Amino acid sequence: MSDTMDIKYAAAATFSSAKELYDAAGKVKDEGYSNWECFSPIPVHGLDAQMGYARSKVPRFTLAGGVTGFFTGMLIVWFMNEFDYPLIVGGKPYFSPIYPFPVFYELTILFAAFGTLFGMFFLNRLPQHNHPVFEHPEFGRTGDDKFMIVIEVEDPKFDDEQTVNFLKEVGGQAVQIIREPID
Amino acid sequence: MTVDSSTQDTPKTGLSTKLLAGSILGLGGGLVGLFQGLQSGDKAPFLGWLWGCSFWLSVAIGMLMLIMIFRVFNSKWSPVVRRQQEHALSAFPWLALCLLPLLLVAWFGKDQAGILWSWINPSSPTIEVSSVISVEEDVLHQKKAGYLNLNFFTLRLIAYFGIFCGISHWLRKASFSQDKDGDPSWTHLGTKVSAIGIPAAALALTFGAFDMFMSLEYQWFSTMYGVWFFASGMRAALAVTILICLYLVSNGKLKGLFKQAHQYDLACLSLTFTIFWAYVSFSQYFLIYSANIPEETFWFTIREIDPNTGVRSGWFWVSMGLIFGHFFFPFLYLLFYRNKVDVPKLVFIVCWILAFHLLDLYWNIIPGREIVPGAFVGYEARPVIGSHLLWGLFSLVGVGCLCAWAVIRSFQSGVAEIIPIRDPRIRESINHHE
Repeated sequence: MSDTMDIKYAAAATFSSAKELYDAAGKVKDEGYSNWECFSPIPVHGLDAQMGYARSKVPRFTLAGGVTGFFTGMLIVWFMNEFDYPLIVGGKPYFSPIYPFPVFYELTILFAAFGTLFGMFFLNRLPQHNHPVFEHPEFGRTGDDKFMIVIEVEDPKFDDEQTVNFLKEVGGQAVQIIREPID
Repeated sequence: MTVDSSTQDTPKTGLSTKLLAGSILGLGGGLVGLFQGLQSGDKAPFLGWLWGCSFWLSVAIGMLMLIMIFRVFNSKWSPVVRRQQEHALSAFPWLALCLLPLLLVAWFGKDQAGILWSWINPSSPTIEVSSVISVEEDVLHQKKAGYLNLNFFTLRLIAYFGIFCGISHWLRKASFSQDKDGDPSWTHLGTKVSAIGIPAAALALTFGAFDMFMSLEYQWFSTMYGVWFFASGMRAALAVTILICLYLVSNGKLKGLFKQAHQYDLACLSLTFTIFWAYVSFSQYFLIYSANIPEETFWFTIREIDPNTGVRSGWFWVSMGLIFGHFFFPFLYLLFYRNKVDVPKLVFIVCWILAFHLLDLYWNIIPGREIVPGAFVGYEARPVIGSHLLWGLFSLVGVGCLCAWAVIRSFQSGVAEIIPIRDPRIRESINHHE
């Protein structure tokens, strides 16, 4: 660590059970931290509420995508059949909300799916090829038998000593500062 | 988790009596209508009676399908909810009883036998293009006579209700017996009954909708009709399930057992079947609109315009009401998370859905062609408001009170705990989490 440059990223602590993680997460939230994350090999029910997370904002992207799709479908049909090249097919009107409804409907579904997928990517800041948390020697085990809480340096309440001590107090093991090497 | 039967029985005995009195009043009023209709040859009381029955029948069928779907998917969240629906199944025999007068008229009504379903009486007048002929002269009836005849019709109705009542009996037995002995083989029995029951009940409800509702205008046909009835029934059953569960939470019986997660999932299913209903209803319209064949289009025409003048009739506004009130509004409303988990907001929308479901059945059952000799096309479309609505309200209340009485009696009888306490999935169901 002496000859490579690095950036201080976060303080991290591991836990050995979902219950310890769950209890500790509540304490971290109550302490007033805002820029922090939990890592767990299994889904822990109620953890998002314990961490004080609001519901995901992805559905807004879905709705926006769906509405866009619906009106895009309408615009396509109106432009082609009513405006650019009016053509009578099967005695139906040039434009009507009935006969081309499958087009509106399909585009609603398609754009809503796009909105969901890309909204999720956007909110999660994906794609991201590397993450500083990988530097923690125990991080690999959060995919197996360890749980982890990471409090980032960006958090306004972060303090080298206090945060490390706090993580020890709430029962964290292997508490350490994660540094991301740069060269 | 034990049920205190002494507190359960006492306050509701008064309610049972009131419901029974309500059903006698409602059904009595409806029967008076049927007698008058028979005397004067007026179809309206019969249509009203059928409409009143159809609402509760659709709820019961939806409950039955939901239970069987929960069973075959071995769903872990459902047992708390399923028990409430199993009580609702006790309405089936009473629904059969309520439909019996219509069948009796078909058998013993002599020259009025075809008063509701005109094809039952071969000499009933009917419309071909714009001339009046008798049913037996109508080629569209001749081709369908192998299916649409009274003997086969009666047999089918008996089979449908045999299927509904039989499956209900076994589902209730499998679930209630498990409360007592905790034997997991009851769960396997429930799954097996459901696996056989889903196709059987699906066929029964499809052909039941064909026979009872679609055959009112026997020239018309739509393969989507059974699916429409299924989708409607699922929406109505989900709405009633949500109301029952929330009521039982509010009076403390399901408090802490029926959680927000259950409510949210039922609301999501309501959203699903709102979309499915729209998909089926629209497809039915869309195909007939695109094909543009007079045998099929008249059914929608009389729901949109006065066939003699081409002017929009009251049914047009009912149709628009269904598109916007039965689909767009509940659809957009149920998209939002808060509207699904806030109790008053959800209660509002499920009551809304039930009201529009009633209107949807009205729109499907009531409109028809009344033969009027001097009219330009030989008939007039039945109006939106008429005596059929009044008679319908009688049977709606009467059948509803009778079904509610039967269901409450099942709740109070003590045959089952408030939740299936020994179901292998019950722990997961109680701990169900979003």
